[in-house]
Amino acid sequence: MAVAAFSPEWAQAFKDEINNSPVYRVAGQGWKWTVGLVVEAEPDRNFPESRGVVMDLHEGEARDIRVGPPEDAQACDFVITGTYTRWKQVATKELDATRGMLQGKLKLKGDLPTVVRYTKASQEMTECTTRVPVEWPDET
Amino acid sequence: MHDPGARGVAGRDVSTTVEYADGDDASAFAQMLGGLVEANVSSRPEKRRDLDNLKARVGFFVTDIGEAVTLDFEGGHLVVRNGLQPGRDVTIRADADTVMQLSNVRIGFAGMPNYLDATGREVVAKMLKGQLRIEGLVGNLTTLNQVTRLFSVAE
Repeated sequence: MAVAAFSPEWAQAFKDEINNSPVYRVAGQGWKWTVGLVVEAEPDRNFPESRGVVMDLHEGEARDIRVGPPEDAQACDFVITGTYTRWKQVATKELDATRGMLQGKLKLKGDLPTVVRYTKASQEMTECTTRVPVEWPDET
Repeated sequence: MHDPGARGVAGRDVSTTVEYADGDDASAFAQMLGGLVEANVSSRPEKRRDLDNLKARVGFFVTDIGEAVTLDFEGGHLVVRNGLQPGRDVTIRADADTVMQLSNVRIGFAGMPNYLDATGREVVAKMLKGQLRIEGLVGNLTTLNQVTRLFSVAE
């Protein structure tokens, strides 16, 4: 069943996908930092307020993923910021997150060597988002 | 993208180690490569030595997104420029995934990149398939090894 984009239900489904991924379990070994995703508002796409996704990832496991205000996400160890449209493109496989960062479509804050070291883990996390059926507010 | 560091005068971004010739207009890719070198050099003394000893102009072209950067290593100082500038000693052409993979090549015995483990073998396979092309390799192997060490984040 599809869940509303960037809702608490979406966060739970995303967490379940990560924890069901044997690829992430291996690729995420050693990772012990929080990751915040800032989804910037786009009122003209029926996404009127920015949201923050706070991901507590530890040693190949998603211990908690929750949706809240963007400030919560901005306080994480690593922060990736993009507009609603960019994140939708990532979740629908239109935009690869790595390419998005290299092109400046997604902005990264945090220790670069660490992020690069865990490229495979981040790619698998992106794969996990694509496996969550989503109701997009600009399509309803 | 990654915070490129302190802002300098005349529109140029200046840090002690890395300078962005295009200032605020430095591309995300430029900031990523510059940021990677800066972070590595500041945390690893052996990489600082590599930067101090390296004098070369190196180009990167990311084939699947059309982004290019030129890195001028000036012996302890790096100037990052958008686009491919003329007079390059070495030019690396690869897709985005491969560029990231290059940074995960481990450094092995005597400071040589390890092309025998899983990541190294994948990089070699991409070279053989033409997915990773290195122009100027002949005569610049030492430079390439130094650049690989500078970018390597593998522990």
